[in-house]
This record gives sequence, C-alpha cells and structure tokens, in this order.
Amino acid sequence: MTLALASLLLPLGTALLMLALRLRSGNWVIVASLGSLLCAGLALNQVLDQGLQTLVIGGWRTPLGIRFELSTLTALLLIFTAMTHLLVAIYAQYSRHSQTRDTDYWPLSSLLHASLAALWLSRDLFNWYVTLELLGLVAVAMIILSGPKAYAPALRYLLLSLAASLCYLLGVALLYGRYGVLDLDLLAQASQADHSTRMALLLMTVGLMLKAALWPLHLWLPAAHSSAPTAVSALLSALVVKGPLFILWLLWSRVAPLEMTESAGLLFALAGIVALLSGGWAALRTPLLKRLVAYSTVAQLGYALLALGLLLRWQQSELSVALWLFVLAHGLAKVSMFLAAGEMQATLGSRRVASLKGATQTMPVAMFAFAVAGGSLIGLPPSGGFVAKWVLLQPLLAEPIHWPWALGVLIGTLASAAYVFRVVALSFDRAEATPPNFNPDPFAQWLALLPAIAVWGLALFSQPLIRWLTEASG
Amino acid sequence: MSGTTFYLCLGVVLWLLGLHGLLRLQQTLRRIMAINVMGSSTFMVMVALASRDGHNDPVLQALVVTGLVVAVSATAFALRLAVAHQPRRSSRQSTREPGE
Repeated sequence: MTLALASLLLPLGTALLMLALRLRSGNWVIVASLGSLLCAGLALNQVLDQGLQTLVIGGWRTPLGIRFELSTLTALLLIFTAMTHLLVAIYAQYSRHSQTRDTDYWPLSSLLHASLAALWLSRDLFNWYVTLELLGLVAVAMIILSGPKAYAPALRYLLLSLAASLCYLLGVALLYGRYGVLDLDLLAQASQADHSTRMALLLMTVGLMLKAALWPLHLWLPAAHSSAPTAVSALLSALVVKGPLFILWLLWSRVAPLEMTESAGLLFALAGIVALLSGGWAALRTPLLKRLVAYSTVAQLGYALLALGLLLRWQQSELSVALWLFVLAHGLAKVSMFLAAGEMQATLGSRRVASLKGATQTMPVAMFAFAVAGGSLIGLPPSGGFVAKWVLLQPLLAEPIHWPWALGVLIGTLASAAYVFRVVALSFDRAEATPPNFNPDPFAQWLALLPAIAVWGLALFSQPLIRWLTEASG
Repeated sequence: MSGTTFYLCLGVVLWLLGLHGLLRLQQTLRRIMAINVMGSSTFMVMVALASRDGHNDPVLQALVVTGLVVAVSATAFALRLAVAHQPRRSSRQSTREPGE
C-alpha cells in the first residue's frame, strides 16, 4: 500500500513543487512519472503476493474515515496511468512540434496524474467527487494551453463538467441521507431497491456519463479534445474519460441492487451500440484529423459501455475483464493515434484529413503508428483490442439467444474499420502527395509508434492480464 | 421534521431551476450563476439531511464545507475563463479567423 501511495504522492509533490518554485522544466515530470511507474509496478507485485490491501487514512475507521483500496485492477490502472504520463511527457519535452514546452503543462499534467491515482485508489463516494472535480478542472486548464481558439470549447466543457459534478453530488447526498454511509463496501451491504436509491443512482449515472462522454452525453468531447495541444489530447482521451467510467462500473456492479441492474444493463448496452455507430459515422464524415480521432474515442467508449451493460444484465463477472481490457487497449492505441496525428498535422501544416494524401511516403513512421493503433481499435488479431473483443464475444457466442448482441459488436467493428481505412487509404494515394511544410521530427514519430507496438504486445501478455483482471472482478 | 422536508423540497426545486437555467440561457455569466444555484441547492439538501433526526450530523456539514471550497474555486476559474473568452467574441465579428 505504501508503494501505491508513493505512486500517488510523487506526481502530487512534483506538481506542488513546480507551482511553488515556478519551475517549468519537463525533465522533473519525466523523472517523477518514471518513479511513479516503478512504484506502481512494485505495488502490483505486492498485491499479487499478498492480495487485496486497504488503508484507512489517518487511522479513522470506515463510517467516518476514507478508505483506500489497492486491488489488482487498481494496481494495473496505476501502472497504465504512470506509463501513459511518462510517454506523453517525453513527447511533450522532446518533440520539436510540441506546443507545451516550458508552459504550465508540466505542473498541470502532474496534478492530473495525482488526481487519477487518487481516483483509482479511493472507495468513498465523496472522495470520488473531489477527485472528479479535480480531474475536470485540471483537464479544462490543460485544454486552454493551446490558446484563445480553445477557450469556447473549454468553457463549454467546464460548465458541463461542473453541472455533472453537482448531479453526482446530489446523488451522493441522497444516498448518504438514505443509508448514512459513504464507503463503497458498506453501501453495497446496505443498499435496497427503493425510490431514493433509484433516484440517487440515476443522478450519479447521468453525472458520470456526462463526464465520461458516454453516448448520448458525449457532445462536448470532440471539440474539447481536438482543440487541446497534442500531448493534452492524448492524455484526455486515454485517461481522463476512464476515471468516471471506473466509478460508474464500481457503482453499478457493487452498490446497485439486483432488481435494478437488469433493466439498466439493457439501456447501457443499447447506448453502447448506438455510441459505436454514431461515433463511427461522425468520425467517417469529419473533415479534421484530430476531430476524427476524438470521435473515435466516443465510438470506442461504446465497447466499454456495451461490456458494462451486458455485465449488469447477465451478472457475468468475466465481462468486466473485457471492459478493462478495452480501456487499456484503447488508452494505448489512442495515445499513439493522437501523437501521430499531432505530428502529421504539425509537419504537413494542415488540420484537415485531406492533407494526409501520400503520407505513407512523406511521413511513413507516423502513418505506420496511426495504422497500427487503428488496427487495435478495429480489433485485428493479435492486438490488445482483439483480445478485449474476444473476451467480450465469448459469452455472446456461447448461447444462441445472445447472438444479436454479437451483431452489434460486428457493426461496431465495421464502423471502426471504416474510419481507420479512410485515413490509411488516403495516405497511400501517392500520386499527388502533400509536401511537408515543416521539418519532420523522426524521434517524435518513433515515440508515437511505441504505444501502438505496446498495444499489440498486450496480446502476448494477455494470459496473465486476463487472470489478474478475473481475480480483481471475482 | 416538517422543516427538513420543506428545505429538502426547496433544495430540489432550486436545483431543477439551476439546471433549467444552465440548459436554456445563452450568456456565459448567467450560465455560471445557474451552476452556482445548482451548487447552493445541493448544499441546502445536504444541510437539511444533516439535521433530519433533530441532532446535527457533522459528517454532512463537513462535506458541505469541502463542497463550498470546491465550488468557490471552480467558479473563480470559470469566471476567469469567461473573461478571457469575452473580448475575442466581440473581435470575431469584425475579422473572421481563417481555418475552421
């Protein structure tokens, strides 16, 4: 548990130090992320050895105090967060096209890292509210780093995010009024299917879905994520939207009484399929490259929502393995895609998808990273996306009555394939290649390729991963 | 008990009013104020729940204090961002930016 705490405190301390001493050097953040990654790795090792660990902060017992819990899933998410931050920090410091060197990006990204780590560790409804609010504020502050053109989407995101937090908070107040506890485990033991619980869960779900940009509350995401600087877009899509999803998953799989989960699960699953379709369609139509990648986030979150819905509907805990595999695979692929898209956009001097004509010739490495990451989003074997889809499909194919849901997965796959191939096909059009306006930066392009390779490597590593996630959900 | 119910209902009505304002109003300042109304009404519900059994529940009151701090800082940030956003809107009418 000490190690997991260190993984949280290192970035927090770095952020505070940088703010206090007015340091804006990226190397500090890189070192802190590396340290946090090491601690998270050791914490995973410890959790595998000794099992679930809890910490009551300040020695106050649960009805009053706040409890931190380190499960296998939490340890994996801590590693994932630290790894993503490390990669993006190296990009933001050493890429020639990075707009974020020597800016407030550094303390903010450390703060984002710390609030995410606190979110993964907390098991307390009000503490989650605080971490959610922190996440939202830091995310907005990072979006406006790209200058005045981002103010409008950032303001919209901020207002919606605040409203979503209040929605969640009112739900928390109702639950506390009904049961008198805020701790997740105590609530899970006490919860009953009555009107106030129903109302509270509805309010919290709406708030969390808005924050996680789950369909139909996703409309703020494409503008906000695509107007941010490249490094920030990568962090937002890979990590920030997963935080509320984590709370939503715990809330519904642990606290919600069985009478309610079945109908709610159906709604979640249907919303997931619509998200896959509408996000995929929008990604296919948009003229701007980064917006395409942002819409693909909306679509890919549909898989997570579908897995969550079916998990609730059938009470099959192996589906939560699929859910978290999707989250990990999507996060890695999306970092790679955003970094590659940012590099291509900066080198070719245009934000439009059409400017990628002939990019396989002019910027082969970045385009390769984009395509490889896209392959995982489509779910081509043997990528991480494929493993996740396989775990999701197994219970669907086992019984004929579930086959219509498999059709939904198939349609989602086709939609992702359509928008990935839209870009890839254009980049092979070498007849009239767009000449690069600026010097390409090979190092940044190779860096963009790294997470894409990692997501394919996830498949080799899938057996222990599935075992750990099964332990975490069991 | 009737006092608690009264404040609970009032809180919920104010919350809905704030939500309505956020969704229907156009001006940024009014939308920020609508969010503040939502926040205050949430705290009102919490304070009403805290005194429902005749004695005060310190946990909920502590939560309200924490929530107030969060709300103040979030409002400050939103106002600053709104101010930064405002001059641009008036200048955009004369010169449209190329690009989007």
